[in-house]
Amino acid sequence: MSTQHSIRAEKFLADKKQAEWHDETLWLVRAKRDRLSKQVPEWEKLRDAACAIKMYSNSHLAELLTEFEANAVKNGAIVHWAKDAEEYRTTVLDILRSKGVRHFIKSKSMLAEECELNPFLEANGIETVESDLGERILQLMHLAPSHIVLPAIHIKREQVGKLFEKEMGTEQGNFDPTYLTHAARKNLRQKFIHAEAAMTGANFAVASTGEIVVCTNEGNADMGTSQPKLQIAAFGLEKIVPDQESLGVFTRLLARSATGQPSTTYTSHYRKPREGGEFHIIIVDNGRTGILADAGHRKALNCLRCGACMNTCPVYRRSGGYSYTYFIPGPIGINLGMLKSPERYSDNVSACSLCMSCSNVCPAKVDLGEQIYLWRQQLDGFGKASKEKKLISKGLRYVMENKTFFNRALKLAPVANRMPRFLVYSSLNKWGKGRELPEFAKESFNQMWKNRKIQK
Amino acid sequence: MKVGLFIPCYINAVYPNVGVASYKLLKSLGVDVDYPLDQTCCGQPMANAGFEDEAEKLAIDFEERFKGYDYIVGPSASCVVFVRDHHGQLLEKRNHVCSSAGKIYDICEFIHDVIKPDHLDARFPHKVSIHNSCHGVRLMKLSAASELNVPYYNKLRDLLSLVKDIEIVEPERRDECCGFGGMFAVEEDAVSLEMGRSKVRRHIDTGAEYIVGADSSCLMHQDGIIRREHLPIKTIHIIEILSAGL
Amino acid sequence: MMDSREYILDNIRRNTKETFPKPDLNELCNNALKYDNIVGQFCEIMTQVGGRGVVLQQGQDVNDLIRELYPDAKRILSTIPEITCATENPDHDASPADLDGADLAVINGTLGVAENGAVWIEQKMKYRAVYFIAEALVILLPKHKIVNNMHEAYKLVSTGEKGFGCFISGPSKTADIEQALVMGAHGARDVTVILV
Repeated sequence: MSTQHSIRAEKFLADKKQAEWHDETLWLVRAKRDRLSKQVPEWEKLRDAACAIKMYSNSHLAELLTEFEANAVKNGAIVHWAKDAEEYRTTVLDILRSKGVRHFIKSKSMLAEECELNPFLEANGIETVESDLGERILQLMHLAPSHIVLPAIHIKREQVGKLFEKEMGTEQGNFDPTYLTHAARKNLRQKFIHAEAAMTGANFAVASTGEIVVCTNEGNADMGTSQPKLQIAAFGLEKIVPDQESLGVFTRLLARSATGQPSTTYTSHYRKPREGGEFHIIIVDNGRTGILADAGHRKALNCLRCGACMNTCPVYRRSGGYSYTYFIPGPIGINLGMLKSPERYSDNVSACSLCMSCSNVCPAKVDLGEQIYLWRQQLDGFGKASKEKKLISKGLRYVMENKTFFNRALKLAPVANRMPRFLVYSSLNKWGKGRELPEFAKESFNQMWKNRKIQK
Repeated sequence: MKVGLFIPCYINAVYPNVGVASYKLLKSLGVDVDYPLDQTCCGQPMANAGFEDEAEKLAIDFEERFKGYDYIVGPSASCVVFVRDHHGQLLEKRNHVCSSAGKIYDICEFIHDVIKPDHLDARFPHKVSIHNSCHGVRLMKLSAASELNVPYYNKLRDLLSLVKDIEIVEPERRDECCGFGGMFAVEEDAVSLEMGRSKVRRHIDTGAEYIVGADSSCLMHQDGIIRREHLPIKTIHIIEILSAGL
Repeated sequence: MMDSREYILDNIRRNTKETFPKPDLNELCNNALKYDNIVGQFCEIMTQVGGRGVVLQQGQDVNDLIRELYPDAKRILSTIPEITCATENPDHDASPADLDGADLAVINGTLGVAENGAVWIEQKMKYRAVYFIAEALVILLPKHKIVNNMHEAYKLVSTGEKGFGCFISGPSKTADIEQALVMGAHGARDVTVILV
């Protein structure tokens, strides 16, 4: 019954101190989110509105995307469409090659992670630098993010310090986060200045104005796009919103949900190319349009990528991002992985106790827990259901559908109470690894009732 | 008003005392309550594991068993909410109409919202820490979910407040999952245990003698940890407190 | 062969089985969070986001105030004629890279938001970099240009002639190393909004 997730989670938990730190730290982010959301009396109405806007947008994509395109072209941008990851990557590469770009600076984009842009560009001889501090740390360590908003949450300051000693020549043994952050600031400043092109993702693409909205705390998107004259922005097509009015709703929810801030430091609106520059916008599908037809799961396209579901998830906090097999972990990752490929990512579906906290924190009301429940029902159809769980369920059904059998089982059950420990608490009994088994009652409720011991 | 007492399978087998307490409490409140014999299971364990189909027949049996009652009342929020939220759609597959979903109540919800007693005879001179179970909070709405911006309420606390000499507290992270989750508890045993341990620790940190809840499954999981690690706290179902002395 | 644009739009049309109406946001927007003391709230939230909100007193010279707040600033960028303490007009620089090393930039804000300390900046200068590259940033904002919340703000802002605008709420920050909050990741390490 062991899944990849459960095996990796056990390893994660073996480092007790780090595991506890991970849980506590992410819980603090959740607590900050709670505090900030409670300062907004209309919070729940905002969530309803965000959900309704997304349901509208994602059911009017053709209109909104073409409206966006027309406006973007009017603004002087060049719009590209990419049906899949490969087309997205080659579009970026073609743009860069046409301008002879050798040095390329990026701000954080989950779409770029999804489409594995960086290794592709590097293989094609383009130096690609991540400018978000967390992403930069991971890039230099050749690691993937373990959280979508706090990508390096699993890395310790000592590791960063040693890395920067090697990469940026920082003082030996100085692991102070402020010192290290400012060293990266200085180091990356040169990268910004010497890049020939900069790229961002998008938090929102506004149909009525044709502009791209990017939210960051560090200012890396702006630092990048304000140096080189060539700018590329790429977004998954569900990032489209109808108008500025809807941004009022989303920007009030996003940072409060993500990090417990009233706003991200920078909420940047890119509409036109820089003077004498070029602004390319890539609209990416990569499987998204396939999700539209799936009534049970299409709400996953409401996701704002705020990461709140990870911070609240008791399983994510206690197993870490690398325990999941899809590159996005936690509740939203379980769902997006299944939408990407149930054959490859079904392993994560059991990494959930169905506590439903994720559904309650989601600012766009993605029914995350409900969808995980639904995926479990669908696993058998993909041939991916756990054989043991299926057997147990079938066995349970047999017992439960047959009252005589059930009642007889209840009568016999107390025998288990008196079985030798080594038999009951064998390695086969995973319940018993850390827990005592419940004791069966000598007489079941049903039996007591039959014997008229209860009713007066 | 005829009430059918719903006794979930594991309460039947492991915690019949919770069933007995439920019956006595409802009786004492003047409720016409009966136990339709030979109940088994609502089908939740199979469904949560991903095998809803295995629960269809059970849903039909359930419907049949409780069809003559005005209310169905059970001492397990999680099982009750499974009937309420899922039986309808299970029965639909078999072309049955579900009447259970509209009349089933968790026993705390039933006493709090339907019976509305202004006093109870129970006395329980102990400090108790409320276990706000996930399905009780987020599906059954027995208390305000900590994630939502809604005014605080807690039906369990309201009911416990009717008990004499009791001291009621709630742990830090008041409605974080304890890690039971049905087959999750064995499939993800390491994470489940870690969740359970931290939950029990937070209950202990309140100084309470008892963890009190409306879901015996969560209590069973925590009790398993408490007994294995010899921790200084006990678990008790809320109905056992509310019916104290009956 | 169908091009990708047509392919995607075609897929969208084929797979959209159900449509949902555009929600009416008027009630939500009109009843959203408001403040009695909007200037006070703005200054308070500025502190919370790691910046500073200062009201220019009557008769006080803004240049004196800036000097007082940033006594060590040597290279000060501004295109605002009243900012006589500026040492450099960034519009005269040959490239945005030349702005690197500036100690302070003094810019105009269009609109402030009391709920989150965000100030809307509409690009008026030649280089967008001015808003981000200096070590510290002073934003001049008329007191009466503060609105309650983002709904009100988005009714009033636009990216203007140059097609770029940005809400800035306090200094650049990161917590990417062990969630320890550090000011000054890439943009300004220090932000003061002077309410005039």
